[in-house]
Amino acid sequence: MDSPSPQLEPTPVQPSTDPLTHQFTTLNDLAHELTSLQDLANRGSWRSILDKVNRARSLSLLSTPHDHLTYLAYIVLSLTKLRRFQEAQTELDSVDDFNSHHYRYETYPKIYPNRSGSMVPFSLRWLHALLPIKLGNRQEGLDRFYLLLDFVRGKLNKNGTDVSVKVWRKREVFVVNNIINHHLSNKEFSVCLDLINGLISGGNLDPVMLSKLGHVQMQIGDLEGANVSFSKVEKLISESGESDIGLRNLVSRNKALVYLVAKDYLSAVREYDDCVERDGMDVVAINNKAICLMYLRDLSDSIKVLESSLERVPTVALNETLVVNLCSMYELAYVNHSDTKRTLSNWIARVAPDDFDSSCTRV
Amino acid sequence: MSTPLATQSLAFRVMRLCRPSFNVDTPLLLDPADLIVGEDIFDDPVAATHLPPLINSHLTNPPDFSDLSYRARFLLQNPSDSFGLSGLLVLPQSFGAIYLGETFCSYISINNSSNFEVREIVIKAEMQTERQRILLVDNSKTPVESIRAGGRYDFIVDHDVKELGAHTLVCTALYSDGDGERKYLPQFFKFIVANPLSVRTKVRVVKETTYLEACIENHTKTSLYMDQVEFEPAPNWSAKILKADEHKSEDNSPSREIFKPPVLVKSGGGTRNYLYQLSLSLHGSAQSNVLGKLQIAWRTNLGEPGRLQTQQILGTPVTPKELELHVVEVPSAINLDRPFSVHLNLTNQTDKELGPFEVWLSQDDTLDEKAVMINGLQTMELSQLEAFGTSDFHLNLIATKLGVQKITGITVFDKSEKKTYDPLPDLEDSGEIHRPLILTIKARLWNQIKEREYIQEAGNKEQED
Repeated sequence: MDSPSPQLEPTPVQPSTDPLTHQFTTLNDLAHELTSLQDLANRGSWRSILDKVNRARSLSLLSTPHDHLTYLAYIVLSLTKLRRFQEAQTELDSVDDFNSHHYRYETYPKIYPNRSGSMVPFSLRWLHALLPIKLGNRQEGLDRFYLLLDFVRGKLNKNGTDVSVKVWRKREVFVVNNIINHHLSNKEFSVCLDLINGLISGGNLDPVMLSKLGHVQMQIGDLEGANVSFSKVEKLISESGESDIGLRNLVSRNKALVYLVAKDYLSAVREYDDCVERDGMDVVAINNKAICLMYLRDLSDSIKVLESSLERVPTVALNETLVVNLCSMYELAYVNHSDTKRTLSNWIARVAPDDFDSSCTRV
Repeated sequence: MSTPLATQSLAFRVMRLCRPSFNVDTPLLLDPADLIVGEDIFDDPVAATHLPPLINSHLTNPPDFSDLSYRARFLLQNPSDSFGLSGLLVLPQSFGAIYLGETFCSYISINNSSNFEVREIVIKAEMQTERQRILLVDNSKTPVESIRAGGRYDFIVDHDVKELGAHTLVCTALYSDGDGERKYLPQFFKFIVANPLSVRTKVRVVKETTYLEACIENHTKTSLYMDQVEFEPAPNWSAKILKADEHKSEDNSPSREIFKPPVLVKSGGGTRNYLYQLSLSLHGSAQSNVLGKLQIAWRTNLGEPGRLQTQQILGTPVTPKELELHVVEVPSAINLDRPFSVHLNLTNQTDKELGPFEVWLSQDDTLDEKAVMINGLQTMELSQLEAFGTSDFHLNLIATKLGVQKITGITVFDKSEKKTYDPLPDLEDSGEIHRPLILTIKARLWNQIKEREYIQEAGNKEQED
């Protein structure tokens, strides 16, 4: 797990002190055993991450301030993923002010010679805004998100490297999307539409964002608006000449939705089939095709489509929405649906990542 | 006749099949750069060069078939992934509320949970409301031949909901079970239909125009997208919707061509108001006071449609005038003690001949001299007007006081009917002509002597008549 870091300097320095010394060649240069942490996160083994963090702390394996912060970010994220929001909040409370000098490189010149700036991982600021919402204090969370947006925009005004500007701009879009998501969850559609409009009219027309606009319009019932948005997406993608499969499938899936709302389920199924042929892991196409089959009175095939996707590509197909749909179909199809659902539930328990919310099986 | 459910081979299972919705959740996806390093690291030029490739090589490859990790639940591929709407559709999770004007749609599955085949299945589905029983499905002419053990027969029913209150979906099956015994299975699924909207109307008559204000309130649990709200006037009426001017800033928005803000009425008490201007068609007469109906069409998730119309909306009866007197033109500059001419038009709005007429300025009750008087003959004669006919004439007037003055009391008298029509209102606002009879009378620099002479002359003329 710990690969030996190339020692370019003669000074005997621990692997996770100033990363600059090792020119960022491996993840472990960035923080203590980071490769392992990242690997566990990819697998969805959030409980294992909790163990690892707690062990590192109790055995005092973390030697630098930035190690502590990285580990803090991982533990708060893990607890949030596991829906243990109160514990996540408690962990985060150990940092009372992100902007304090305690979290700046220049406060520790012996550890980080010639380095300055904030060492706070941005995810901590994001979690700090998200957790109040998860704990039911909506107003506080929303205020924090808007303050975070201000903070990010403030960073954009300072002259950083090109990469730095790009990163902060991505963070700006990320925060706005989080705010939109929050309003969307509360069915505050007019606000969402205004925010999306703000993102789109910023100059660069992102087809993915425009497609999301079409989805929101469709959700509220503005079918004409959705059609305009989807047409524009198709035009943008064909004009750019990109043959990226992801974007081509996006266009197909949008077309399928237009067929679906017009109740032409057969054409929708055809579009979804095209998507799956291009990309066998397009789980949105797979799930939505199964829904169309139900409206075509073909409950048996809709069940088959979902079950086969779980068998074939479990790591993308295993999501809570697909399972909810499958369980609804089981409840309709089988008088003894509890048995069928229990079988599914047992399989999920063996295969699913730690953060999978198994209440979706309603078993 | 009907056997207990436990001994039945068949059972109905029902799922409401309104349109699906997009799943919205908070996906908790992160860009690895926001997790594994401090937020300001990219300010360092060395980090800016080396970190991105390191991150990309280890962490951000999109999953492929060989990747058995759940990284798609963790890594942010695109900042808009945190939007939380991936496009995944989710089936209706509960029966939900059903509203008047919607379509009730249901997936019905007949399951054979026995170990034997059942045969000759006659299926009927009916909707029982407080007032009637509507047949939805009846296959008695072509019964289902068989359903194997553990098998199913599915069908979908649609019903436009047109009544309020208790509804029961009655599903019945008549079949031969494994023993050849003919069995009857009735099952009942109850639901209540509620009113999605309420409409409050106000009718106001200003001069001869009727205004109808309608306020639509949403009583449902979701927002309603107003697809179409139209007022259908009664035969003698015509209606025009009055809309507020759009705010200037909205017009200049660069994304205008992409995105038009929708008309969305919020759930649980949100309202929207509409204003209509109604006018009686020229040849009509309002015998009844029925104005018309409001047709409302809305949509909810993924375009699920609903449609209602109000009952007849009543207004106060308006009798149109038989005679219309319009001011066509008033001179722009009117000077004290100088005669001026006002161009008027008289229209006969009936289908019979009216007149001949006399026109004069009626006297005020007060003894004060009127500010504006007829100059010359105090009564003007007008000839008969044919049905729907019109005639122009001029009144020669003179102003005796300065400032803003009104011409009051223009009276039209029908000589044959011996009928006086209401004086022309002081401020006219009928149809296309907006001509105030409010005049500004200016003083003019005259030779004093000449002025006195002129008035003397006018006064003499009067005395002669």
